[in-house]
Amino acid sequence: MNLIAQKSAQFFITLFVLIAISALPSLVAQLEFVPSNYWNGLQQQFSQLAKLDEITYYNVTAQRELPLLPALGPLMKETVIIFMTSLVVSVGFALLYAYFFYRSGKRVRTVLQQTSQTLEMIPDLFWLIFSQFLAITIYKQTGFDRIEVAGGFAEYIRFLPIVTLTLTILFFFLKWLTKHILEEEATLFLELARAKGVRPAALFWRHLLPNLVYRFYLFFRSNLITVLSSLLIIEYLFNVQGIFRFVVYNPVMPILLVILLVVYIPIFILDLLAEWLIPNAWKGGI
Amino acid sequence: MRRTLLRDPIFMIGFIIFVSLLLLSIGNTVFRDGQVDQFLNRYSDEGRLIGIPPLEPSKDQWLGTDRAGNDLFQMMIEGFKWTVGICATVALGRMALGLLVGIPLAFRGARLNRIFKMVLDGFLILPISLLAMMMLFPSFFFADSTMVPPLLDRVTLQLTVFVVLGLPAVTLYLTTEVRQLLKQEFMIVAETLGGSVWHRTRRHLWPHLVPTLVIVFMQQFVQTLMLLIHLSLFGVFFGGTVFLFEGVRPTLFEWSSMFGFYFKQFTAMTWMTNHMFLVPALGLSMLVFLSNLLTSRLERAFRLRRQKSVVTDDTTSQAEASAATLADPFTLVHANTSFQQMNQKKADDII
Repeated sequence: MNLIAQKSAQFFITLFVLIAISALPSLVAQLEFVPSNYWNGLQQQFSQLAKLDEITYYNVTAQRELPLLPALGPLMKETVIIFMTSLVVSVGFALLYAYFFYRSGKRVRTVLQQTSQTLEMIPDLFWLIFSQFLAITIYKQTGFDRIEVAGGFAEYIRFLPIVTLTLTILFFFLKWLTKHILEEEATLFLELARAKGVRPAALFWRHLLPNLVYRFYLFFRSNLITVLSSLLIIEYLFNVQGIFRFVVYNPVMPILLVILLVVYIPIFILDLLAEWLIPNAWKGGI
Repeated sequence: MRRTLLRDPIFMIGFIIFVSLLLLSIGNTVFRDGQVDQFLNRYSDEGRLIGIPPLEPSKDQWLGTDRAGNDLFQMMIEGFKWTVGICATVALGRMALGLLVGIPLAFRGARLNRIFKMVLDGFLILPISLLAMMMLFPSFFFADSTMVPPLLDRVTLQLTVFVVLGLPAVTLYLTTEVRQLLKQEFMIVAETLGGSVWHRTRRHLWPHLVPTLVIVFMQQFVQTLMLLIHLSLFGVFFGGTVFLFEGVRPTLFEWSSMFGFYFKQFTAMTWMTNHMFLVPALGLSMLVFLSNLLTSRLERAFRLRRQKSVVTDDTTSQAEASAATLADPFTLVHANTSFQQMNQKKADDII
């Protein structure tokens, strides 16, 4: 009961904060901060909350104002497809890498560590340009034209955005995983398990990894903003018909509010699920 | 620490590149008044026209020129101090304010911290560049190039927005870090011995916080750079965007603005191999890479220092252990013969 009260309090507080954030664009006017303007914007956003279905946007193709909420579905779909696919692929690769890293000897480890460290320093911007460049070069060399470089109207582009985002997230994960595997390896319970003759594979998948799951989630959660920033710029540059590109092209406060809610509510539910589903023992409790 | 860094060739090379670029950039302002040469048409020795801007990279113009004939190499040099200056100012501003709020907060109870975290949680899901774009776009778009407000006003406002938008994340991080330090044994001892909050912060907390602060500074530096790049891609250049007949133009020679500016001049395929696009793009990628490289080397140096201190701990504990073996630690106090003898003697005296 206490938990429910706490969580709902958290939800409403964050909801309020999100509304306050979405009204921030009204704070700056004519190169100055105008608090009274912000107050008006805040009131406007609150009244908007009651009539979310009346929010409209200007549709360029139709040349008129259209209601926002029905149009949001396909945009959401694109963003979610790209985000989830890259997330799943990069987690998969990261786990494979981690296992390989765990099983390999000292020299291979040094090589792996240095490579992933160097790759991690390269900004996502570079991957973005480089992947487009590569696709075009492949096309020029071989005539293979199935890789799209940019989306168009009613055309979906998925492959390159997913590749770019995957690379960005993957190198992010690798550094963390490497550091924590090295840390966990020294723990006593693993020593005991090893002494009892548990096979190395079982040692990794059954004993080491579960210990990292919750911490990994927390790490991911606190760095979500970086991933979403990458997603934003990827959507914008590849012309993906997703929600972030939509806000860039329709920069008004009501739409920003809706997008904030659309992003926050799934994350909140995910948080709840993580707290609820991940067993206590994995969180470091008894 | 300093010696580790001085002996680290990778760090030194990165650092020298960084400093020499900065010196060149400042030198350009001091000695040449921030001038960037313009080359319009190029003629051969016989006076024949052999090139019009944009000129390709050549021996005279190392990185080529843009469409207005500005020498790209000189522009990059001139812009470097702006880019670095902005990022460093924003990173420092965020950290200073973050510490100012974070340290007093960390000394408060867990309940207040939980509430604070809950309130700021909303800031951690929205890409900052999106919000910054929406906040700055109306004020920083100038339709008339003769009516641009003074540079100082524009820069102050923009820097304030950048600092404030990144502040919640930095504050939360620093507070967590300080709270973790406060749980350490030496901090508890310092509190028990009656050290005031100020004393504990200055003498005990600060030395342990410095490595974290250096790393956080570098991270914020890169983050601000990314923010600048994102904004310029959205068409909001640092210092404002001037709307001209043929398109938009930045008001400063600054790397990220140049990148966004040239990016907007191309459509579809042609930009891939064009020097006007590649020079700022590769320059920015190199700058991010360089900053990340310096960060990782600094991290390594701090780690090595910590390892060294662990070694000294080890020797002291060994010394203690060897000292402890002198007196048998498992003998009972009352069984101690000398103690007994002393008591016996005392008792004899009384009798």
